[in-house]
Amino acid sequence: MTHKSVNPFSLGLVRGLIGLIIASPLGIGLVSVLLAAQGQEWLVGKFWFTEPAWVLGAVFGSVGFLIGVGAFNDWVKVALGEEVHETHEADPSLPSWTRYYNFSLDHKVIGVQYAVTCLIMFSFAGLFALIFRTELIQTGLQYMTADFYNTMMSLHGIVMIMAILLGLAAMMNYLVPLMIGANDMAFPRLNAFAFWINVPSGIALLSSIFLGGFDTGWVGYPPLSVRAPLGMQMFFLGVYLFGLSSILGALNIIATIVRCRAQGMTPFKMPIFVWTALATAIISLTATQLIALSFQMVMFQRLLGMGFFDPAKGGDVILFQHLFWFYSHPAVYVFVLPGLGMISELLPVFTRKPLFGYKWVALSSIAIALVGFFVWAHHMFTSGMQEFLRVPFQYSTLLVAVPTGVKFFSWVATLWRGKISFETPMLFILGAIVVFLTGGLSGPPNGTVATDLHLHDTYFIVGHFHATMFGGFVFPFFAALYYWYPKVTGRMYNERLGQLHFWLLLPGFILQSFGQMFVGLLGMRRRIADYDPSLNIEQPNILVTIAGLVIGLSFIIFVFNMLYSAKRGVVSAANPWRSRSPEWLLPTPLPVHNYPQPLEVLGEPYDYGLAGSTYVRVNPQSAAAD
Amino acid sequence: MKHVIGVIVFIVVLASAAWGALNVNLLLPAQASQQAQPIDSLFNLQFKLVAVLFGLIAGILLYSVIFFRRKKGDETDGPHITGNTPLEITWTTIPFLLVIGLSLIGSQALAETLRVDPRAIEVKVTGQQWSWRFEYPAYGITSDVLYMPLNKQVLFKITSIDVIHSFWVPEFRVKQDAVPGRVDELRVTASKIGEYSLVCAEICGTKHANMASVVKVISQEDFTAWVAGELGATVANPADRGAKWLKQYGCLACHSVDGSKMVGPSFQGLYARQEEMESGATVSADDAYLIESIRQPAKQVVKGFPNAMPPAAGEALTDVQIQDIIEYIKTLK
Amino acid sequence: MTTKAESLTRYRHNAATNRLGLWLFILSDVFAFAGILVSRWALWGNTRPDLNQVLGLIVTSVLLISSFSMNRAEVAAAHGDRKQFMIFMSLTILLGIAFLAGVVGIEWQESPYAPSDNIYGAIFYLMTGMHAFHVLCGVIFLLLVLRNGLRGLYTPEKHWPVEAGAIFWHFVDVVWIFYYPAIYLMGNLVR
Ligand code: HEA
Ligand code: HEA
Ligand code: HEC
Ligand code: CUA
Ligand SMILES: [Cu+2]
Repeated sequence: MTHKSVNPFSLGLVRGLIGLIIASPLGIGLVSVLLAAQGQEWLVGKFWFTEPAWVLGAVFGSVGFLIGVGAFNDWVKVALGEEVHETHEADPSLPSWTRYYNFSLDHKVIGVQYAVTCLIMFSFAGLFALIFRTELIQTGLQYMTADFYNTMMSLHGIVMIMAILLGLAAMMNYLVPLMIGANDMAFPRLNAFAFWINVPSGIALLSSIFLGGFDTGWVGYPPLSVRAPLGMQMFFLGVYLFGLSSILGALNIIATIVRCRAQGMTPFKMPIFVWTALATAIISLTATQLIALSFQMVMFQRLLGMGFFDPAKGGDVILFQHLFWFYSHPAVYVFVLPGLGMISELLPVFTRKPLFGYKWVALSSIAIALVGFFVWAHHMFTSGMQEFLRVPFQYSTLLVAVPTGVKFFSWVATLWRGKISFETPMLFILGAIVVFLTGGLSGPPNGTVATDLHLHDTYFIVGHFHATMFGGFVFPFFAALYYWYPKVTGRMYNERLGQLHFWLLLPGFILQSFGQMFVGLLGMRRRIADYDPSLNIEQPNILVTIAGLVIGLSFIIFVFNMLYSAKRGVVSAANPWRSRSPEWLLPTPLPVHNYPQPLEVLGEPYDYGLAGSTYVRVNPQSAAAD
Repeated sequence: MKHVIGVIVFIVVLASAAWGALNVNLLLPAQASQQAQPIDSLFNLQFKLVAVLFGLIAGILLYSVIFFRRKKGDETDGPHITGNTPLEITWTTIPFLLVIGLSLIGSQALAETLRVDPRAIEVKVTGQQWSWRFEYPAYGITSDVLYMPLNKQVLFKITSIDVIHSFWVPEFRVKQDAVPGRVDELRVTASKIGEYSLVCAEICGTKHANMASVVKVISQEDFTAWVAGELGATVANPADRGAKWLKQYGCLACHSVDGSKMVGPSFQGLYARQEEMESGATVSADDAYLIESIRQPAKQVVKGFPNAMPPAAGEALTDVQIQDIIEYIKTLK
Repeated sequence: MTTKAESLTRYRHNAATNRLGLWLFILSDVFAFAGILVSRWALWGNTRPDLNQVLGLIVTSVLLISSFSMNRAEVAAAHGDRKQFMIFMSLTILLGIAFLAGVVGIEWQESPYAPSDNIYGAIFYLMTGMHAFHVLCGVIFLLLVLRNGLRGLYTPEKHWPVEAGAIFWHFVDVVWIFYYPAIYLMGNLVR
């Protein structure tokens, strides 16, 4: 690799940041001038810090960033009726690594961009967790103020959630087109746009630390969120932006799956991961609007005094929670469905056996997504919503156990009598099953009203959702990163380090999550900077913190492995896992146009053990005509 | 067949281990209300079910991982088994019936906790940043400690004056949010004499972690005595009354009387002091200013403090009570 | 070398994908509008604010007529009738602007509520504001379509942007058909 010096302004990221730096003060200034024109006092120190100014500054900054990156270039051309190029080729005069810093339309590049951004946000959020966990080692406040604790805790939650959404988008962007034999997503420009909004979104979220923070947890319930410092607005804006990204990404995934499948790729012949991507996208496309709306309403209440959630003006505090959870419950299935798809996708490869009950597994994802729309109020059993709503929501909540159970039983049936091998991705898949099982089984006690009266807003819930999210996202995501690493980089990760990562993460995690559930049952509330010494929960809390540190260590090992192996790893075989999936039949690195010749579907995706069967045939050699 | 027996052994061992570990009596705090009983038996039932299901799935997984390993150098595939519809139907139907059953039992437990005793005594609970206040309308008593007679149902009418809080005594199990603009009901029949802690379970800002009140479950006789004592105790000295109001109305959550800085300014030495405001003005803390600070806290904000004092905090106070408070502040030199 | 027939097939294929994308976008947007409508029922219940009924009726008719003229413009584009296309497009845009002027320009100034007064103000501005924002986007989109149409970029076979504009415009119109009664007609009047 020769190092050519590259003009920094040819990097979209750099231009974007410049755009952001130029545009934000413009927004701040505009509001300030308007306020001054209305006769507000022109007082430096007061006037620069009015909330509307900062909000508009952040909005301008985000748009400035997107303009700088070049997100609007093609659309402006289309709007003005000019021709836009259809090609995927990046500017050939630039070295190929610059694609990753530019507004690339290639879904594979965007997938990698998402994955890296995900890991960056994950590190931030994990670091926040480690910071606030140190405070919980002992009772009393030792290292930080309660406000700082609250900010760290809330940011940990929301940044982790953003990281999850980025990670899912990474997997779906990279894999869905390849798996269904498409050359790209249905709307490549929209795809790139959806990725790049995440950058200003992340900046807005993290900037809230410097703007007073916020202390509401990731849920942002009013009236507390109406009174919280300016950082709250940056939280709302950040979520708003990555919510937009989530909606647009989902739209693209659905359109791709519906329109871009290769000939013969009928729904029940698609790799199972595609089904979960579809189920996830259905939720993100629709439900996300409601969290956007609920946050928008709080923003308006703060900025314009609109009294949606202000009882003094006739507003209703509970309304917010309905709107919020209408998204945020289905969202938890967004978080896990692709991960569960990943489990179903990789199990057959490492057991050399067909996926047990393919159709049932495929449809169970859709079932989870649909039932998931009707359970949101189980987060509000103690909120004071109408009494008669509680029992119906209890029934619908527990119903989700049924399709989830189908998945579990199919997985263990796939393992049964297989020929199992234990490379790193498979370890993570097995870990995912066990961890998600503990998380899932801790769900029904929450879903039953009577027991939730005790459990609500305790660390038991914290343990529950860390287990579901680790089992449903973190473990499968690591599995996917290891599994497709040779496809993306052409080199193999270091197996030893991979195994070490797993054997640190699994016990660390079990200790963390069980510890959380344990103190929760005993009465430790969530979101507290300090706890009562009389609860006698100092020891388990120390263990949870240590477990967090172990997980952090394992994560550092993982990052090292990824970076080191990209340069020094052994060159990987074309299909090291002997997978039947189409992307492994293509050369590495993948051609810019995935399938110059259309993919031919000849059989079933997971017919391992059926002599002479093939799933697909690809002809990458025959040179592309265009 | 060998495998089937083997896996059953695995399942039984794992399930029993989980069964033993999930012991309700050890995992939950001591039980101190009648409402806790159905809840704890429901916990018990669920934990047993969880143990069995965990053993079932983890058992098959563990067995497969141990006995179905790929031999070194074995490049062949496993058996071509693609599914089994009767099996799928079984493991869809049984969980379905299980969750319906669980829900039914759960609803009964819930109904049990909601059972109404018409002779329940009413207590009005008001949450505010960051304290609780209890009013006994039948006796006209206001208190910052919750006294409950043993074995007598108490009907809590719970509300909040600022943000959402949540009423929770872990030993009672049940929980209810205190929501501004609403009054929600919760029924608790304390069943064990003792002192407990009523904590706030919904994040409500800076001092959420410390928002707690003492709960005293006492015998019926002691309760009657307490009521009589409260009613008889008319405090003659206005300054003493003022001190009491500050405690009862939660002012001390944000204001100290010893000069230490909390969320709000300390009351020590406040009277007649020259206070600097955010706006730059300086005012003397006389009666009029103090009344205004309590009635309309946002009007003049003290320099260096957030405009965080809830207007509703002072709304509950009568003019006389405010005058008492001022008398008390005067004594804090 | 692509032949004309091939290029047309390709255009149709792309237009079908775009059509699906647009409908998905609309589906998503429906959830936002529905969420606002639900909030209206939650907060207003069976009451409604005191608004200018005449104005409400006028702006509603204006919007309905614009939907009709949008349809004529689309048909004209499909027939390659440039003159009709121009007339009806301009009419649609003008009616759209008239609607905006009626709601934002008059109703907002006249209404007895400020956004911060109470829930009547809050929900009224939220509903009309959100809808007006969509109308504004529609007007801008139609202006671009009109401009490109006048430059002869559309043919009877290839006029997807016109169709897209029409679908979006009708959608915004349908939303108002739900919003108008919810704001102006349903429930008991409160003063
Ligand atoms: C990320 C993913 C995720 C997933 C998959 C789930 C899955 C489930 N969750 Fe969880 N949940 C969260 C993330 C998730 N949750 C988060 C983030 C919160 C907290 C939000 C906050 O307040 O901050 C939360 C909170 C939460 C609450 C609110 C608690 C409270 O605040 O009081 C409830 C209540 O019902 C609940 C229930 C459930 C249930 C019933 C499932 C079910 O889907 C589980 C189904 C799975 C199984 C049951 C196991 C396998 C099934 C079988 C082996 C079949 C047989 C089983 C039976 C017959 C029971 N969850
Ligand atoms: C995917 C989601 C996810 C993940 C992975 C985690 C991971 C962790 N979480 Fe999580 N957590 C949430 C989602 C998640 N959390 C959510 C949504 C909430 C709710 C917030 C709310 O209540 O509003 C929450 C709340 C929450 C609480 C409750 C706080 C409270 O109520 O007061 C606690 C407490 O123990 C906790 C602890 C941890 C710990 C110790 C980890 C550890 O696993 C973290 C391990 C650390 C790392 C992985 C980072 C390591 C990185 C470095 C050391 C930097 C080095 C840099 C490079 C190598 C580049 N979390
Ligand atoms: C949630 C916290 C909070 C509570 C509860 C609270 N206050 Fe305050 N109070 C503040 C803050 C913050 C300030 C300073 C800002 C201001 O002037 O508004 C303040 C200011 C004051 C002042 C002016 C002090 C000065 O130095 O000039 C008085 C008097 C006062 N409060 C009385 C009360 C009384 C009486 C109550 C109870 C009925 C009460 N407060 C409850 C937060 C609180
Ligand atoms: Cu009050 Cu938390
Ligand atoms: Cu949920």
